[in-house]
Amino acid sequence: MLPNYYQFYCPVKILSGQLAVSNIPYEMTLLHAKKAFIITDKGVVKAGLIDIVKSAFEDSTCEMGCIFDDVPQDSGSSVVNKAAMLFEKEKCDCLIAVGGGSALDTAKGVNILVSENAKNLLKFQGVEKITKDLKPLIAVPTTAGTGSEVTKIAVIYNEDTKEKMAFVSDRLYPKIAVIDSRMTMTMPPKITAATGMDALTHAIEAYICLQNNPIDDIYAKTAIDLIRRYLIRSTENGKDEEARLGMANAALFAGIAFSNSMVGMVHALAHALGGVFHVPHGIANAILLPWCLEYNISKEPKKIAELAAILGGSLEYLEHTDLAHITVSLVRNLLQRLNRISNIPMRLRDAGVTRDKLSVAARLAINDGALIYNPAEVSYDDALTIYEKAF
Amino acid sequence: MEFNLENALTLLRKLPYYPVLQSKSKYALIDTTLSVIAAAFEEVSALAPELKEEIAHWNEGRRFAIGVLPRGPYITMEKKGDRIRFVGKGQKKPDVTFIFKNLDSALLVFTAQISAHQAAAECRVLIDGNNAYAMELNRALAMVETYLFPAFIFKIIFKRPPKLSSSQLIIKSKVYANLLPILIKHYSQVQIAKFKD
Repeated sequence: MLPNYYQFYCPVKILSGQLAVSNIPYEMTLLHAKKAFIITDKGVVKAGLIDIVKSAFEDSTCEMGCIFDDVPQDSGSSVVNKAAMLFEKEKCDCLIAVGGGSALDTAKGVNILVSENAKNLLKFQGVEKITKDLKPLIAVPTTAGTGSEVTKIAVIYNEDTKEKMAFVSDRLYPKIAVIDSRMTMTMPPKITAATGMDALTHAIEAYICLQNNPIDDIYAKTAIDLIRRYLIRSTENGKDEEARLGMANAALFAGIAFSNSMVGMVHALAHALGGVFHVPHGIANAILLPWCLEYNISKEPKKIAELAAILGGSLEYLEHTDLAHITVSLVRNLLQRLNRISNIPMRLRDAGVTRDKLSVAARLAINDGALIYNPAEVSYDDALTIYEKAF
Repeated sequence: MEFNLENALTLLRKLPYYPVLQSKSKYALIDTTLSVIAAAFEEVSALAPELKEEIAHWNEGRRFAIGVLPRGPYITMEKKGDRIRFVGKGQKKPDVTFIFKNLDSALLVFTAQISAHQAAAECRVLIDGNNAYAMELNRALAMVETYLFPAFIFKIIFKRPPKLSSSQLIIKSKVYANLLPILIKHYSQVQIAKFKD
């Protein structure tokens, strides 16, 4: 059934598969770019992943202008400003972001500054505040979770106002997303599990939330299917190339899905936990996902029930509500298995959350814009109850 | 010949002045609805304890606006003391604005054909400004709608339709009774502001 109205947009060119990174210089020539500015973090450099990108430029007419590897775990405005100044000094004409969500968000922030010829990101925060076309950005993710390589959002921490700034614009989409299994091989099991559950949450929320549409549903379902096949495999054996590529694609499809369909209460509550307790985003999503799915059953039993078949259990004679509960059980089983393999926490108390500040997190969660798109109403009391259950 | 609405609309659309009339009518209807919402906001913030509690921690002087691109109408409201006050028509330096992309999108919500959250899900409305303020405004607006709109449309406009207690029903009747005087007061305020300009 079609929704009353929907919008879908994804202009990112996707290169996925064997030696995908080697195609970067060719794609740069198509974009009329000659000198790349690489934005990454020290972990990626240490893991030798930048060397893979360097080797792609060996026999190319394009060059790697500069490697900026100062990106912290959470992208901040001072890092963006520093990188932007260096970009201009080196006279580069395109950006390559190699890393996780933080590197990608930093690259998007730098792109805003250098393309708009500005010194301050503040005036561009919000929706569609960017007025000029941006420089080409090539995204090379090294985690399989955030999907930032195909989203139009960047979140950057403002050190002056101590707030997170969100930038949303169709212009922020990278030109190209490069999915190469070599770039995710070095992820340790716990991070593989956490980022994989992040991708699963993106896909499931995109599927069941209010802004879902038939195009995103296809991406979401494919992502969930890939996660079902490959998440356990890639967590158990990091060298499994097929599994790594499968998970990277799953994260990409989930990214396309949620970029258009948005997310819901899992993300609202997880963002609050990240803000108050610094729980890593993937872990918070993993713990909260089954509880929030259960909460939403009353509003979307049919959509949640449909996920049961994709996640691996289909009993067609059951009612929607019963099947929806099976979906929740399947997600819990997946989390239990990942916990046995990688020690990813299953309860909030094991993720560094303390009971005394749950009310603060709940107060923060109900002010998260993602709640608008959640099928069921979530009040302060509801958020607190979910936290208590997941504690 | 049987009356056919589609045919009638097709004929109407062919009239040379119809698009202008249609646009002006939509503008007028949305302008009136926004005026009513502004009046209701003032009155409900004066009477309803739950709205008072919701806005208690809002910073003094916080302004919000609701309107339609590209040329309005808009209303701006402000927190003063423990109440919400009408500032005026137009965007008067709001901290957060709910903007409908066009008159048709606004009309769908203001005639209760779709809910505000459905409008957001269909990308018919934008939020300009502080996101946290926007969510707080959303909750406050929901409370005002509870006291403004009749119960039979609650199912369309709310994810969880509220059930009003007897004391809330009394407040609702007071809101209805005071709407017209407040509308007249706001109208005078706007005319005086225009005269001063």
